[in-house]
Amino acid sequence: MPTTRRRLLAAPALLPALAAIGTRGAAAQGAPVRGGTLIYLEQQTYTNLYPPAGGHYPAGGVLNQITDKLTYQNPQTLEIEPWIAESWTVNADATEYVFRLRPGVTFSDGTPLDAAAVAKNFDTYGRGNRDLRHAVSEVITNYQRSEVVDPLTVRFAFRAPSPGFLQGTSVIGSGLVSPATLALPFDQMGDATKIIGSGPFVVARQVLGRELVLNARRDYAWGPAKHPHQGRALLDTVRIIVSGEDSVRVGALLSGQAHAARQIPAFDENRIQGRGFQVFAPPTRGVNNSITFRPDNPLVAELAVRRALLHGTNAQEVVDTLFSPNYPKARSVIASSAQGFVDLSDRLTYDPALAVRLLEEAGWTMGPNGVRQKDGQELALTAYESPNYARSKDTLQLIAQQWARLGVRFSVMAGDLGSRTVDSLDPAKTPVAPAMVGRADPDVIRSNYHPRTRNMLLQTGGVSRRVQSFNDPALNALLEAIAAEPEQAKRLALVAEAQSLIIDKAYAVPLFEEPQVFAAAPRVRGFGFEAVGRPSFYGTWLAAR
Amino acid sequence: MSRHLAQRLGQALLVLLAAFTVAFVLLQALPGDAVLIKFLGSEMGLTAEQIAELRIAYGADAPVWQQYLHTLGNFLSGDFGTSIRAGVPVASLLAENLPATLLLAALAFGTASLLAVALAVLSQLGFAWARAFARSMPSFFVAVPVFWLGIMLIQVFSFQLGLVSVIAPEPWEELILPVLTLAVPISAPLAQVLIRNMDQVFGEPFVAVARAKGATHAWVLWRHVARNALPPTLTMAGVLFGELLGGAVVTETVFGLAGLGGMTQQAVANQDVAVLQAIVVLSAAAFVTISLAVDLLLPLFDPRLANRPAGAA
Repeated sequence: MPTTRRRLLAAPALLPALAAIGTRGAAAQGAPVRGGTLIYLEQQTYTNLYPPAGGHYPAGGVLNQITDKLTYQNPQTLEIEPWIAESWTVNADATEYVFRLRPGVTFSDGTPLDAAAVAKNFDTYGRGNRDLRHAVSEVITNYQRSEVVDPLTVRFAFRAPSPGFLQGTSVIGSGLVSPATLALPFDQMGDATKIIGSGPFVVARQVLGRELVLNARRDYAWGPAKHPHQGRALLDTVRIIVSGEDSVRVGALLSGQAHAARQIPAFDENRIQGRGFQVFAPPTRGVNNSITFRPDNPLVAELAVRRALLHGTNAQEVVDTLFSPNYPKARSVIASSAQGFVDLSDRLTYDPALAVRLLEEAGWTMGPNGVRQKDGQELALTAYESPNYARSKDTLQLIAQQWARLGVRFSVMAGDLGSRTVDSLDPAKTPVAPAMVGRADPDVIRSNYHPRTRNMLLQTGGVSRRVQSFNDPALNALLEAIAAEPEQAKRLALVAEAQSLIIDKAYAVPLFEEPQVFAAAPRVRGFGFEAVGRPSFYGTWLAAR
Repeated sequence: MSRHLAQRLGQALLVLLAAFTVAFVLLQALPGDAVLIKFLGSEMGLTAEQIAELRIAYGADAPVWQQYLHTLGNFLSGDFGTSIRAGVPVASLLAENLPATLLLAALAFGTASLLAVALAVLSQLGFAWARAFARSMPSFFVAVPVFWLGIMLIQVFSFQLGLVSVIAPEPWEELILPVLTLAVPISAPLAQVLIRNMDQVFGEPFVAVARAKGATHAWVLWRHVARNALPPTLTMAGVLFGELLGGAVVTETVFGLAGLGGMTQQAVANQDVAVLQAIVVLSAAAFVTISLAVDLLLPLFDPRLANRPAGAA
């Protein structure tokens, strides 16, 4: 199974990284205060808390507090640092990893977090468990087996090079849980009280769909080795409360009923900052918010048409009209904060005159109704909005207006989740689709485009049975090489090549770098984020009013 | 009477079975299913083979009639299955959400009734301006969007005036604004029916007789009119239950309350069949119970109904 799927944080998830302000701010503003309860507003409830399903933002936000990882990806430098693993070695072709664990770590149910527990975790995440319906983790590729060398040493073997595994041990999806938790079927893992980790917080109380109360674990003494905060978490309690309505979250924050909130609408950012509140916008470091084409559909099979749509899309207008400076205009397929980014802005110019010329040359002539035609066929495209992405519907509708000026009809559909899921697999029904993936590893580009993973171009060889013939072996070979290349410099060069190829073939129209936007009251200090923008309350504290 | 009751109970069971079956068929007819949505449309990035395996594990590929009998059998034995979306048994979701919604609905209904009665009484009093006001309110109430009303109440009473907290509220304040929000649209049809019936009853000959005997306006209103205006209102109240559930969806979303409304909305959005199936059967059961209760209560207010021969209903 060559599929690698790596740390993609899913849709809403896409936003990585660190905003750091929190951790840095703490040092600058006097001694941290211990104790207190932080009220944090979530837009949605978590659903399943099986760690590899933690790409879902609300689930990731919980798992990041209650589980630890083998390694810690520094959100500023993206370096992999020790955490539960004190040290590690990797062989030359990245097929064998040995981790030496920190002694004395326990899960909150008292069982030791030792080599056997780590082996059990990665056996599950790497191979899945059919009886318990545990799926394989998206971030682990070519996993073969584990070996407990001694109580604090564990070795992992891979069938083929797996250079992304080290970073893979640092992501939310590789959160370590007690063997008791791994004995539960997938169906019961939506109950947070059954998810036993070794993290700085433990689940105290849950009202399904409404609220989760986390208490600090008093004996926690194994934070990431280089984290500015050490020892137990500073807060006593974190109350994660679901409040789905945007205006209620923002109003509650500003009126002092809550301390922090996720998913802040772009148009509220100024008002919040104007009141002296903090806005954080950790970037995604992954595949930018883009429009992707499905060339299996004859309407967009032709390069000239895709190039015309690329140059006929005004991404600057999208950013200026709908978003804030926290959403930078895309300069490549992946974000400027992603690993292996190359600036391709000179190939992403907005040039409606060129777009029209390309369409004319390709034989698409303007019809009487303002829509171009060729051989009696109208250039009419369709896409579903994706509620997981920031203002997806507004974005697509604005682009529809831009394309209409070229003589292209673009219909944006809402649709129920079932229709959307089924139709999105059919290039005949959805020649265009919005996409984005967050994740701090070069492999992210493969995750989005390879047919065996997210397959955003709908090539043959993926989950969809509706694809007739489209396949780009050159692109796929490049993507596979990214997953298997052990040497970092070569890997990044491959990532650069893939970005060029995707833009040259106009498979996608990158729009903007999607951040994850949070807001917090002025007295909240040390509000941290992991490498892809999930909150970390480990070093968070509340200053006196 | 007992034969009438047995008949009604039999009908109720038939209605429940029909609701279960229709819901099952309709849910099957939708494109996609919960397993597909959870594992394909999600962040897990599974391959085709892994999804196929999961489909088999969840029984999503079994013939429809097998799934139907299996699900029906489970329901009869009290097992509502598991929510694929939430990863918890449907029974736990219900235990968590049902009491909250029942309390919200009961309080909202109580408040709505008080409002309706107040308006109806006001509509029969002597002051012309009060009558006009009371008679125009129901149309206004029904026109106010619940969503907007909820947001406005929150903005004014919670965020501006700081009178009640909507995030992490104390138990006593948690339901104040949601109950008001939900009560307003529910009270409108109740008030309308009540006012119209009162007007009608005031025109009946027996009222004239009572007046001729020297009864005051208030006496007539309380002793004769109100009592006779009640039965149609009671019937109306039974029908309003559906409105309550619908209003609860919006109210619970705006206020971030746990409840059946929000649970239904999530289940619909994610095609979480097990949850939807349970909610449909539960709602049908509630409708059936309420209309049965209304049927049994009516004769207490209008003895004429009790004298009908059984089965003539």
